[in-house]
Amino acid sequence: MSETTVQHLYFHIPFCAQICPYCAFYKHTPGKLANAAFVEALLDEVVACSKDYEIAPKTLYFGGGTPTLLSRKHLERLLQGLHERLDLSALVEWTFEANPATYNIEKAALMCDQGVNRISLGVQSWHSETLKLLGREHSPEEAKEAFGILRNVGFDQLNVDLMFSVPNQSLEQWEVDLEQVIAMQPEHISAYNLTYEEDTDFFKQLQAGRFREDSDEDALQFRLAIDKLETAGYHHYEISNYARPGAESKHNQAYWAGRDYLGIGPSAVSTIGLKRWKNVADTADYVRQMREEGSVGKDECEVLTPDQKRMESIALQLRTAEGVSLDVVEMNGEVDRQMLIEEGMITEGGGRIVLTEKGKPLADTVALELIG
Amino acid sequence: MSIELTRNFSIIAHIDHGKTTLSDRLLEHTSTISQREQQDQLLDSMDLERERGITIKSHPVTMRYESKDGKEYRLNLLDTPGHVDFSYEVSRSLAACEGALLLIDAAQGVEAQTVANMHLATLQDLKVIPVINKIDLPGADLPMAKKQLEDIIAIPAEEAIEASAKMGIGIDDILEAVVERIPAPEQPDDDLLRATVFDSIFDTYRGVVSYVRVVSGQLKRGTAIKMMSTGKNYEVKEVGIFTPKQSAEDVLKAGDVGYVIANMKTSAEVKIGDTITESKRPCPKPLPGFQVVQPMVFSGIYPVSTDDFEQLKIAMGKLQINDAAFTYQAESSVALGFGFRCGFLGLLHMEIVQERLRREYDMDVISTYPGVIYQVTKTNGEELEVDNPSFLPEAQVIEEIREPIVRVFIMVPNQYIGEMMKMVLERRGELENTETLDEVRVMLTCLLPLNEILVDFNDKLKSLTRGYGSMDYEHAGYRPAKLVKMDMLISGESVDAFSSIVHRDKAQARGRHLAAKLKEVIPRQMFTVAIQATIGGNIIARETITAMRKNVTAKCYGGDISRKRKLLEKQKAGKKKMKAIGKVNIPQEAFIKVLKTSD
Ligand SMILES: Nc1nc2c(ncn2[C@@H]2O[C@H](COP(=O)(O)OP(=O)(O)O)[C@@H](O)[C@H]2O)c(=O)[nH]1
Ligand code: SF4
Ligand SMILES: [Mg+2]
Repeated sequence: MSETTVQHLYFHIPFCAQICPYCAFYKHTPGKLANAAFVEALLDEVVACSKDYEIAPKTLYFGGGTPTLLSRKHLERLLQGLHERLDLSALVEWTFEANPATYNIEKAALMCDQGVNRISLGVQSWHSETLKLLGREHSPEEAKEAFGILRNVGFDQLNVDLMFSVPNQSLEQWEVDLEQVIAMQPEHISAYNLTYEEDTDFFKQLQAGRFREDSDEDALQFRLAIDKLETAGYHHYEISNYARPGAESKHNQAYWAGRDYLGIGPSAVSTIGLKRWKNVADTADYVRQMREEGSVGKDECEVLTPDQKRMESIALQLRTAEGVSLDVVEMNGEVDRQMLIEEGMITEGGGRIVLTEKGKPLADTVALELIG
Repeated sequence: MSIELTRNFSIIAHIDHGKTTLSDRLLEHTSTISQREQQDQLLDSMDLERERGITIKSHPVTMRYESKDGKEYRLNLLDTPGHVDFSYEVSRSLAACEGALLLIDAAQGVEAQTVANMHLATLQDLKVIPVINKIDLPGADLPMAKKQLEDIIAIPAEEAIEASAKMGIGIDDILEAVVERIPAPEQPDDDLLRATVFDSIFDTYRGVVSYVRVVSGQLKRGTAIKMMSTGKNYEVKEVGIFTPKQSAEDVLKAGDVGYVIANMKTSAEVKIGDTITESKRPCPKPLPGFQVVQPMVFSGIYPVSTDDFEQLKIAMGKLQINDAAFTYQAESSVALGFGFRCGFLGLLHMEIVQERLRREYDMDVISTYPGVIYQVTKTNGEELEVDNPSFLPEAQVIEEIREPIVRVFIMVPNQYIGEMMKMVLERRGELENTETLDEVRVMLTCLLPLNEILVDFNDKLKSLTRGYGSMDYEHAGYRPAKLVKMDMLISGESVDAFSSIVHRDKAQARGRHLAAKLKEVIPRQMFTVAIQATIGGNIIARETITAMRKNVTAKCYGGDISRKRKLLEKQKAGKKKMKAIGKVNIPQEAFIKVLKTSD
């Protein structure tokens, strides 16, 4: 496989049944856009990319939006179409994001048959009050059922997404959430601190003073997640991610390692070498451009400087259990780490800098120090 | 025009009693400016002056007035600043006059500044013409105003002219009184050139413009002149009068007030109070100069960006030529880098200088907490003057520290006497005298440390009395006090910008206040930060900034990465602008906030 072979592909499916008030992704309700033409546009973009790059996927990741919102028919066409267009012989991980109540046993079986081997289920919480606040339309029971379907169909790589520091969510409630997810025994758990993203309804509420951020409280919930999940045998291998040994998300690890990836679909971001761009974030335009021009308009194109690439590597790799290599940190010369070591934020060994338990919740502050 | 037909006068008044309005009315009445050109408050030409409704600079203007006696007079009006801080400007302008109009608001009566200004006029031996202004106001109380004039100012009430500057009532009477009551200027009988420089400005295109009063002889284009204090010679390029803008004339004669432009290039070449004479036929000795103004309030001014130091220096030089009372001297601070220790007449003066640096010179500056100048006697007998807390010697080698005291005249309505006295005592003041002005008001004369009235005394007085109180002050020497140097330590490191000299009994309260303020503005760090106020190593107040507990982005996947990096780039740039005190990073804004609002 040559140096320039792209091994990681992301597909953005921008449809959601309902819009969550904290979400800043490019997404919308399907309307008339979740149609055959959209699926063809995605397949066409894959073909177009194959002309520019040698593609031999090791990982595929379908995110959104809600990929499982595609109809069975469209889903089948998409998955089959990919098999026809891509050489999937090297594929080791194929993830689909899914939301409870957006698929049934047939859709699940279809994905499984077509080679999808990992599902990331957006559960967020096991409490109906919290789910309601988050604008999620499923109930805790539906989420459990959805998880069961996946297991029954034969998926052995399941992730559950959870969220903490949601307004009105107590530490006790979070503990229950964690216990419940542990009891279900997924292979992988993502636990995200709620983020107030600009241009979301939650952000407005925060600005209006109806919600409050409290980093001390966040720290307690974060700590609790690490402790409980580690005790249950999940390895805390990235700030927001925990996995049974061997069940880490290889696709996401590729992002953090700074590898090349191509993004397919509206608003999807690609990074090849020092070049980064984003597809047009408008589904109708996306489909039209693919049909009429055979290519997609690119937004926010940038060519990273080596220095910027270094910054990203530090910021991303520091978040992982392997840490960041000293060579990257000291690419431009010595960086004073005395204070970080004295304060017990990092440890060093084998040419790598790794966050301590104390350093983990302050990863961004530490990264800024290491950037120098 | 002969000197007998010249009158030089000023208008003195408490702020808002109508000085500017009356000046405008006089200009209009003498057709110096047509009504069409008239823009309200003509003489306050600086934007700042108009905005704040105060006159900062002197604004001379020459008017022609045909009197009832049929003769045409040349009247030189010297508008003067109307704030206590600028009383030196008032005295300079008054020194160029033979008379003054003392303006009293008919509804407000005599105020603290009226008394102080009257005091200055008497010192200069001026003929004072009392004018009771604003008689059109429904609240005008003429008998009250007249009684106060007699009781407090000691001028017979019959001499008062009743006027309304706003409605144009009494303007003729005022002009006639100027001609009749104010004497013509006197001149020595030789005709050697003597002219006093009472102000100067720097004009980017024309260089130094000196404002002069010619006492004897004459000045015209081409005259070779000598500045008596420096002995330097120049050639006059232009002379003229103010109408009110500068308008060139052929000649300035004895008695005239006008301006001179010579080939002076730098602000340093002209000294306020200097005498101009002729190079070839110099007068034997200079005219009496002005008392050199001593700055009373000191503060460090630093460029926000260290690269701007040279530019700031140039700006300060230019400011100084228009403002002789402002002094500056380079200094450096560990926390703030290179800057200047500046001297001002008072708080308003300080604010104005800062504002002018910002507006006219586009400078971004930080200024440190204002202080006064202390006299220190060391145990070895050595005497020092200290205007910067960093230079105060160690406590054990200090025999005595003395602080400047001011005599404050405070006029308040009777019902506020109690609260007012409480405020005076809290600020280590003492009452010297109480004088009943009328049924509703008293004048309290108090001695207070200057340091205690620096920042907010006037504001507090105004709010306490709902705007009815007024104050003015004069310097009353130095007095020993139990003063100590208080340092602020951040994580054990002393931050020079926050050090101050305070009274022992007040140190703890101020230490607590500063520590709390610092806690508010210093962002949490990844470790605990101790803030301490100390005196000679003893901690008198402390606050703790607890360590930051969590700061980490939740999601970092494909599309999030650029955003994350851009944020880091921004934070990195922000960090560059922070000052590192030991391992603690403090944003520049934190310094500004603490230094600006501490009280
Ligand atoms: N009613 C009335 N108001 C006046 C008169 N003279 C001045 N004022 C007002 O009093 C305020 C202060 O006047 P100004 O000339 O700026 O006072 P200064 O601070 O002494 O220069 C302004 O609002 C004027 O319009 C007057 O004769 N009658
Ligand atoms: S389902 Fe997911 S992608 Fe859709 S709005 Fe909610 S959080 Fe956003
Ligand atoms: Mg005025």
